[in-house]
Amino acid sequence: MNEVLIEMRGAGKRFRTWKRREGLGGFFVNLFAREWTEVAALEGIELEIRRGEFLGLIGANGAGKTTLLKCVSGITPVSSGSARMFGCDSFALRDEHKRRLSMVMGQRSQLWWDLPAIDSFRLLREIYSVPRSDFELRLREAAERLGVADKLQRQLRNLSLGERMKMEIIGAFLHEPDVVFLDEPTIGLDLVSRETIRRYLVEINRARGVTIVLTSHDMEDIEETCRRLVILRQGRVLFDGGLVDLKARTYERRAIEVHLEPSSPGWDAAFEPLLEPLGARLERAAPLTLLFSVPAPAVQRFVPFVFERFAIRDLSIEHHPLDMIIRQIFQQREGGS
Amino acid sequence: MSATAPSSALARDLRLLGVAFAFELRKVTAWRAGFVVRELMRSLWRPLVMIFVYRAILATSDARIGGFDFPTMVAYLILAASFEKLLFHQRGLDLADQIFQGYVTKYLTMPVRFFVLALGRFAQHLAVQSSVIAGLWAVGSLLFPQWWPRAASASAAVEAFALVLLGSYCAFLVCFLVNVLAFWLEVVWTLSAMASFVFSFAAGVLVPVSAMPESLAGALRWLFPYWAVSAPGELFLGRLGTQEFVRGVCVLLSWIVALELTREFLWRRGLHRHVGAGA
Repeated sequence: MNEVLIEMRGAGKRFRTWKRREGLGGFFVNLFAREWTEVAALEGIELEIRRGEFLGLIGANGAGKTTLLKCVSGITPVSSGSARMFGCDSFALRDEHKRRLSMVMGQRSQLWWDLPAIDSFRLLREIYSVPRSDFELRLREAAERLGVADKLQRQLRNLSLGERMKMEIIGAFLHEPDVVFLDEPTIGLDLVSRETIRRYLVEINRARGVTIVLTSHDMEDIEETCRRLVILRQGRVLFDGGLVDLKARTYERRAIEVHLEPSSPGWDAAFEPLLEPLGARLERAAPLTLLFSVPAPAVQRFVPFVFERFAIRDLSIEHHPLDMIIRQIFQQREGGS
Repeated sequence: MSATAPSSALARDLRLLGVAFAFELRKVTAWRAGFVVRELMRSLWRPLVMIFVYRAILATSDARIGGFDFPTMVAYLILAASFEKLLFHQRGLDLADQIFQGYVTKYLTMPVRFFVLALGRFAQHLAVQSSVIAGLWAVGSLLFPQWWPRAASASAAVEAFALVLLGSYCAFLVCFLVNVLAFWLEVVWTLSAMASFVFSFAAGVLVPVSAMPESLAGALRWLFPYWAVSAPGELFLGRLGTQEFVRGVCVLLSWIVALELTREFLWRRGLHRHVGAGA
């Protein structure tokens, strides 16, 4: 459990790109004088991932999640610092190291569109030199657990999105890798498929001690699978720690969701000053739903406050959901910077 | 590092090549209409049109173009069409697409030389096209025995076939190289179409190279397309001898070495540049 499998030290990745000037004049100027700019996709990343960890990597679009995965898995080299896996430079991994890793890109299929998944799996079996008996056993077991055992012979293009993603997951685990990178594997999937995939990932992580790095915009994915969370913002690590620690930070606050009757008055900016004495904050305001963050001791005073001002159909009081916690981290850092 | 490592790596590559070949065969036959249009009918229409063009040009029995009378020209065009079918072509690889769209990314994390998978595509192409040509020749020689080309000798046929195979490998390497340019350029398909046109001309698919002006023909004899189509055609018909075959082998091998080195260089440089666009 203590062995460090992935290590980034001051890792940075910069892309050089040129600015395209607008209009016809800009087109001619671009032909002869390009204005180059450097974009820092990653900067000063310090990261250690140990055997058996299930790490969630989150951040807004363009935060550097996929670039980080690419650098650490050896798809693209870092521009500064170092990225190492299994003790080797990630961009110079040998075949014996590559046999120990796997990658699933949620938006890029590993399997061939026009063929049944089983054909692609046979090619993967040869690529990873998986013994035939192991291959058959693992394939059958994974397909049954993911509920696609009867779909292996069907052309990939005729499968649903959820079934295709399950096939991708099967392909990624066939050679029993030590490290698996999953880049938004549940994107666009229905609730049942998402749950099946999450359950499978958690089971395989616990049973085999596979190190899994998961990126997702779906906080449920993160909350139900990961024990550690890394938050990226503009190419930098904003938070790196346990999910439990993160939640404990805001344990003293509650999320109060208020559902209004259609006849109720909506939120008014004039109410804002009234929240301050209670230490409450409005997190989200939809026409018939309001979400507040309220200190736990103030809940008793806050509830009458909302009942006095709105016609309420329903009200729930819960611990902060993960997406609210993360939004707060972003806001705190922005305020601090 | 043990001394047996290279041979075991080679054995692994060969095993993978076999599986990749079968995989590519499944891919190419996944769609029946696609298989008929792309694999069976490709390269057949142009020579068929040229037969009618030469019929008009060589209307009289004593008319000649570069020593070719009409029956010899028809035989040459049948050979050129058959050999061109064997040559690897630009649509045979979708590597540029894979690079543009980021699909190639997945192979970079696998314990595999990507080129071996591409070689599987090449082997599949040769196998499918050889079968198609064998069928075509069986039917053609039965239906049109007076027009169908006959080999000057068994050795001429073998020599011609050997040159076509080497030439096809050169064409495959050029396709690979043009596709790899996708790491830098966004105009790969245009380049590919242009290369295809130049290739057809230099290979003598439409006009035998020996029927072209001598200065042009002399220059084209240094390029591999000539030795992949036009020269094998003339060898088959007995218009060229073994000495020319030897020269052809030397020229083609030199091209293979140069193209292989360029391929290795560009692939490595390309990977360093690669950002896995969009993936």
